[in-house]
Formats: sequence, C-alpha cells, structure tokens
Amino acid sequence: MNIERNPELLDRLAAEYVLGTLRNGARRRFDTLLARHAAMRRVVEQWQDRLCPLAQFAPAEAPRPQVWDNIARATGIAPQPSGWMSRLRESLSFWRGLGLTSSALAMVLAAVLLTQQAGVQAPPSFVAMLADDKSQPVAVVTGDARRHQLTVKLVAPQTVAADRSLELWAVPKQGNPRSLGLLAADGSITLPLPENATPDTVALLAVTVEPKGGSPKADGPTGPIVFKGAWLRI
Amino acid sequence: MSDTDPQQLRSLLAAVARRDAAAFRALYDATSPKLFGFALRILNRKELAEDVLQESFVSVWNNAGSYQAGLAAPMTWMTTIVRNRAYDLLRRMDATVEIDADTFDKDVMEALESSDPSPIDVLSMDAEARALAHCFSRLEGLHRQAIALAFYHDLSHSEVAQQMKLPLGTVKTWVRRGLERLRTCLTRLEGA
Repeated sequence: MNIERNPELLDRLAAEYVLGTLRNGARRRFDTLLARHAAMRRVVEQWQDRLCPLAQFAPAEAPRPQVWDNIARATGIAPQPSGWMSRLRESLSFWRGLGLTSSALAMVLAAVLLTQQAGVQAPPSFVAMLADDKSQPVAVVTGDARRHQLTVKLVAPQTVAADRSLELWAVPKQGNPRSLGLLAADGSITLPLPENATPDTVALLAVTVEPKGGSPKADGPTGPIVFKGAWLRI
Repeated sequence: MSDTDPQQLRSLLAAVARRDAAAFRALYDATSPKLFGFALRILNRKELAEDVLQESFVSVWNNAGSYQAGLAAPMTWMTTIVRNRAYDLLRRMDATVEIDADTFDKDVMEALESSDPSPIDVLSMDAEARALAHCFSRLEGLHRQAIALAFYHDLSHSEVAQQMKLPLGTVKTWVRRGLERLRTCLTRLEGA
C-alpha cells in the first residue's frame, strides 16, 4: 500500500509513531519515508503538537538548584563573580578552610592509588582531587615526575556544550595560570607534565569552561572555574 | 495564566539561539518544573530525571537555532527532547521501571474523571494541554489509560496489553479509536 497517497493510513501511522506504539520494522520504514517526504513530517509534527501536552498531565516538580548549576556550567554561561586573581584567592582560602577534610581525602586517595598501582607502574608523585563548588569530587589528577606525565581521570562524567571545552590549569603561587591542556568530558586522559608544574611552585589545579579548543587568551583562562583542587606531593 | 505561553516561549527560544543567557534562564524557570515532573514520571528516580533534564537543556542550548518557530510548538519541541532522552536512558540501562498507577497529577485525574468539564479550565497548564485534557476526558477511562501507558512508559501494544491484562487486539483497537477521537475532538476545538 502506498502510504503517501492514503491520508487516513498515513494519519494513523503518524499518530502511532508519535505515541510510540509503531515499532521495529514498521517504525524504520516510516522513518525512511519521513526523511523523504516533508508532507509526512508535517503530519507527524501535528501529532506531536496534539499528544505532547500529555506530558503536562504529570505533577510539576521543581528540580534541585544544582541541576541549573550543572546546565550553566556545561553551556559555559556560569556567572563569573570577579576577576581571576580574586577567584584564585577565594580558591586558596577555600582549600585552607577545608583543612583536615581535604588532607584526609588526599591521603585516602593516595593510599588507594598506591594500592591499585603497586607492581604495575611507578606510583605517581603528585596528586590532586578536583572538586566542584559543592565539594563533590569530579576528577583525580595524578602526576608522574619521572615520566613527565599527568593523568586526569574523570570520576563524574561531565556534560559539555558542543562549542565548549574543559581546560586544565596549573595555578602557580605567583604569576599567571598556565594551561596544562584540554580534558575529555569523560574517561581518562594523559597530558605532558611540565617541569615547572610541581607542587613546589603550583598550589592548585583548576578546570575552566572555555570556547572549543581552549582559552583564546595567552595569559590565562577566560571562563569560570568549575572544579579545583590542591596539588600535593605524595 | 500559564507561564508556558507558546508565544513567549518562542521568543525566549529565539533569544537562546542568539546565546542570550538570561533568556535561557527564563526559559528554564518557565518550563523546568513541568519537564522535570514529566521525566520523573517516566524514570521514577529523581537522580535519573535530573540527569535527563540537564542533558535536555544542554541540547536546547545547542540546538535552539535549529528550532523552527513555524512548526511544532516550543513546549512540544522541548517535551520531545526530554522524552527521547529519558527513553534512551531507560534502554541504555535496560531497566524495568516500576509503573506507577498515578502517572497523572491528582487534580488532572479528577478533572478528567469529572462529569462537569469546568475543573479542566482551572488546571495550571497551557491552552494546548487544557484542550487535550478536555478531549482526553471524553474518552473512556480504559482507552485513556492505554494511551497514557504507551506515551509515558515507551510501551508497545503488547506491553500495554500485558500491563492492563487485556487481549492484544482489544488494546490495538482502543488505542487506534482513542487517537482518532482525540484528533476529531482537537480539530473541532481548534475550529471553534
């Protein structure tokens, strides 16, 4: 039967397509036809407009505020409270304030890493746990001074807008932050570890949301800090 | 009375396409409680529904430019994004979600069941949803249930039949008739 010339059948199939009860082979055939015929797509859109308001029959419920924070971060529109240096100072006092908790966490983390990697490869020399503003761990960074390598493992996969990148920075005790490279939104990534990025000179690692490909500025980030953590020798 | 007035949402979406962060926030404030409530009814778990809402809004930000104002209503467009993402997540997890009998809001349920059509007019939803509620209330309860099960839970005819403990043929017929009646009723309302 030729659906395009049978408006009643087309209407019925479009309705079941939108409802979701058109399945398997029939759905795939319908998809193929849709790609070819704008008039059929129009019938489907009409059914979407008819049935989608069903969604509003569910009881409305406000999502928790951090959902918006995550969206803002992923799309790179998080508000920038002030200049980079004052944010850095906030960051440092944040970590000092965290005191015991962060050192305890770092020790646990180091112990875990040492146990896991024993016998497999040399233990990392430096470690940072990057956390978001709610102190939720997001990434673990380990530095291997002998191999001059940094490994960044995201423990909480991130959603990043298509036109944004996550960039990792070494924040020195003095001077401008230096880029260490771009991160993947998920999984692990290995980056080169520069000589001057040891905890002797670098207090903090931070991740910012930048335009795709990284900060356009040579001397530092342009986007908001989304995760950060103290860079520690172990 | 509704904060999801299509005209207003259309202009917000157009502003979002121009990368207007304030408009994006306004769009989120206006639509997120409804979309979150919907995702929550599909997934039945808060943290999953939050993930879906988050992904959906990132997708709205990325794709607002491709939304064509002439075609589907803004709420339809966003609902479809949320619904597809929620279904994708369900399939990825390969999880069976507990199907909860009260998918619909209590007030909506009562309004649908009421023989007096006036309660529908006071529901806090946009005009499109009120029109649908009005037509939905004209269907038989079981036909309504079959359609709602399929829409909310990504169920096939045979899964709906299983869920409702009815023969497959009956469910197919009910769904088909229910959809036909909805179309007739909605078309009449539009013309009025």
